[in-house]
Amino acid sequence: MTSACEATTRVIPGAAVIELCGEVDGSAAKVLTDAYERAVTEGPETQGTVVLDFAAVEYINSTGIALIVSVLARARAERRKVVASGLSPHYREIFDITRLSDFIELFPDLDRAVSQVTHPAA
Amino acid sequence: MTQATRHAPEKPRRLDAFTLPSEPGNERLALARVAATVQSLGLDAKKLERLKTAVAEATMNAIEHGNGNRPEIPVEVEVTQDGDDIIVAITDQGGEVHAAEPGTATEEPDLVKKLDGDQSPRGWGLFLIHNMVDTMHVTTDGQRHTIWLTMRTGGAAHDERM
Repeated sequence: MTSACEATTRVIPGAAVIELCGEVDGSAAKVLTDAYERAVTEGPETQGTVVLDFAAVEYINSTGIALIVSVLARARAERRKVVASGLSPHYREIFDITRLSDFIELFPDLDRAVSQVTHPAA
Repeated sequence: MTQATRHAPEKPRRLDAFTLPSEPGNERLALARVAATVQSLGLDAKKLERLKTAVAEATMNAIEHGNGNRPEIPVEVEVTQDGDDIIVAITDQGGEVHAAEPGTATEEPDLVKKLDGDQSPRGWGLFLIHNMVDTMHVTTDGQRHTIWLTMRTGGAAHDERM
């Protein structure tokens, strides 16, 4: 299935940032898995943070939520922290309803997420 | 004792009815068309987004589970206004399929279990639908399986728990 999701990965001190674009649904499985793989390969060796940025995401459905759960499960197993930024108010609500926000700290935008990750005491 | 003036109840008004081939991804067409149909009916932005998600999830269930991703079997969508209620009915032809799925609709997704591998990461669809709309119910008539989604244009149902 062709995916309407794209992901770019970049490394910053102490973290890897995955910027998602488009639609996070079932068809995004490979895109998200590959992006996570790049993030942990290129990013901090252990216990780094993975930042998922949703600012350019237009749509997330239940299968997309399942993919995010899978990424979170893997990150926890690898003792990595996951944070998210750029969610619309509606998808923040869905992160709350599903309790994803209990495990993924949410930031309004990528700048604030990066600032917190790179300067945690700030 | 004074009594509020009551207006005669309005008859339900069908706003739109359409069908979609049961192909993955067509839930996006359903949500876009329903959103366009109800956009002038007074739903606030938050409720409109909730309704869009509920319609997408219900249509996706109808496409995948009800009609088995078979494009020749249509998913039917009907939008009705009944007073303050906007009602979206989504019908598939999988009455027997749904009836043969005991437990799938009743197992509440538990994120901790999912993270621990004790539950599939999937299974959020009905949970999301239930949490997005004011009321949801299901009817089955032979093969026809319909999920009814109701959102009130007035009031703040569901907002109190957020």
